[in-house]
Amino acid sequence: MVDVNLVILGCALVTFIPRLIPAVSVDKLNLNYKFEKFLNLIPYTALAALICPGVLTVDTNLWYIGLIGAVVAGSLAWKKVPLGAIVILTVVVLICVYSIVPFF
Amino acid sequence: MGIGYAALAIKAGVSPMQTIAMSIFVYAGAGQIIAVSMIGQGATLLAIVLTNFVVNLRYFVMNLCVYNKVSENSLLTNILSAHFTVDESFAIFSLMEESSIWIYIGISLIAYLSWVLGAAIGVMVLNILPVIVTNSFNISLYALFVAILIPAVKHDKKLGLLVVFTGILNIILKPFVSNWSLILSTIIAAAVGVYYIDDETVMGSSSNSKDEDIKTRSY
Repeated sequence: MVDVNLVILGCALVTFIPRLIPAVSVDKLNLNYKFEKFLNLIPYTALAALICPGVLTVDTNLWYIGLIGAVVAGSLAWKKVPLGAIVILTVVVLICVYSIVPFF
Repeated sequence: MGIGYAALAIKAGVSPMQTIAMSIFVYAGAGQIIAVSMIGQGATLLAIVLTNFVVNLRYFVMNLCVYNKVSENSLLTNILSAHFTVDESFAIFSLMEESSIWIYIGISLIAYLSWVLGAAIGVMVLNILPVIVTNSFNISLYALFVAILIPAVKHDKKLGLLVVFTGILNIILKPFVSNWSLILSTIIAAAVGVYYIDDETVMGSSSNSKDEDIKTRSY
């Protein structure tokens, strides 16, 4: 396994430096419009890549657990349920699913 | 939220102290989840750090907007507050009328403390809670990701297609490049999106003040 302390140090550096640059040089930076659009899209594509296929490995033994969770969260979000409620309800649904699984 | 991260971290073999330390020093929701997932999958240090760099590069843009908006630009307060920008604090502040750096620091610190405390509570309660409950907490961050994505996707079909494209690309690339597939599919899809997605979708809708600020300054 990789040295976790080095991971923390490395991630802390590469996360803090981009946060710091605008704070110390806010008047000097001019962003290319296309690059700014690219950066604005990163959260969406990163989330998509995180979810798919990662959500299927939430439980490495039961791949459909993650799928059920994603469908529940997605349906609630579609119905405009608040973020916090979505997370709590999804966890509660999965606890219920886990309670039923042994009977099959 | 922090509890879900803690559950993943512990599952990946990260110690409780390291789990909390990462929340304190890295402080990046999605970035931390990716990091601990990759640790669990046996990724290399370089792959993890580079992936984090790409995923967290959005804080660069967010801080650019934040420090463009604050009315008093003092180097000291800017440097002190730079670390505490995350999606939530940025979203709240950029939609506010207030533009004081102290308001921003207040919002950011509340988000920061709840994230760090969440991780601390997570590593403590995970030992007490039954396996069914801790397993169920693993879904919490994915639930959050889905919940953030769905409204944006619902709003714009092209963005929905880009999101699906990203997921498929990630699956296709995985056998060839293993842990680099996340970083690659994220970058490739965002680059495709620059030409495919309408400008208004990502440059003007989410938080008006930030985008207009940048536009008026850059052009």
